[in-house]
Amino acid sequence: MRLMRTSEITRRPVVTMAGEDVAQIKDVVYAADGGSVEAFTLAGRGVFAGPLKKGLAWGSVAALGTDAVMIRDETVLEPVKAMLAVAGGRGASGDVLGSQVLSDAGVDLGVVRDVIVSVDMSGETTGRSSCDVVGYEIEASEALGTQGELVLIPLPDTIAASGEHLMVPASAKEFVGRDLAGFGAAVEAFRAQLGGPA
Amino acid sequence: MLFSQAKGHKVVASSTAATVGKVSGFVVDPVTRSVVAVQVKKAEKGDFLRWADLVAFGADAVTVSDDSAIGDGGPDVSALAGKAHRVLGKRVLTSGGDELGKVADVDFDPETGTVSALVLGKGGGGEVAGERLIGIGSYAVVVRETP
Repeated sequence: MRLMRTSEITRRPVVTMAGEDVAQIKDVVYAADGGSVEAFTLAGRGVFAGPLKKGLAWGSVAALGTDAVMIRDETVLEPVKAMLAVAGGRGASGDVLGSQVLSDAGVDLGVVRDVIVSVDMSGETTGRSSCDVVGYEIEASEALGTQGELVLIPLPDTIAASGEHLMVPASAKEFVGRDLAGFGAAVEAFRAQLGGPA
Repeated sequence: MLFSQAKGHKVVASSTAATVGKVSGFVVDPVTRSVVAVQVKKAEKGDFLRWADLVAFGADAVTVSDDSAIGDGGPDVSALAGKAHRVLGKRVLTSGGDELGKVADVDFDPETGTVSALVLGKGGGGEVAGERLIGIGSYAVVVRETP
């Protein structure tokens, strides 16, 4: 299992097992409940290449590594329109970035600058690999005592989002992290404390 | 034997004992994980010597029965011979999407042409076993991720 910022995933090349870079990640499409990554929209390779009409569903990702997104071959790419219809048409990362995070106690915790996902490829052979949204990197508000600094805040399995606000349980405040290294444990502890599946 | 050691080997025809060319490169098939042809320069009849058509890849020279062994390599070799399929200098990605480094050299078995290892250079170091090879494309050489 690996944690990464979605901003690090965008622009990463999409490479086939034959070693061809067929596209690069343009944007992340989240599932309707915001809890996981459903698909990626793609752009062509090169400086002047525009967006592609085809996208990449999470189920077709063979691996999401540090340097490339691996796919079996070019045939796994699907038309974006069909993909977005399945995802409920919402959730490009642009919708989340810049949103205000409110605790359910009504306190402004900060503004979302990045989305942290946990990538688990262990189910690769069974087709049960997952890419869960586990946290946000937020520009902290006064309430966190570190105003203006970027901090990581863990998320429950599913969250309420309106495009304007994101609601998180007030206790998330207790599990704020500073770097990805220890953040996985913080997410688990936070979710365990909520009583939901870790 | 390493590509770097084998490059520059003379190609000698055993019938006439004449030098008919010089090894300038290698064509590798990622499916069979082996050298399918040797690229030859200064030959009269073509640029490729199919592995199946050479007599021996010796420590000091490559021998062929006569210069008719050298030709255009045929469609399968031409398809793999372009720059896009060259191994040397290319980045190595695992099937898990992690970069290991760049291919600095390739170790192959001179008896069979089988690629035994990719030698990594800049940003990597070490070797990747040839049997891990999955694909050779314009962007990267892809190798199986170790479990």
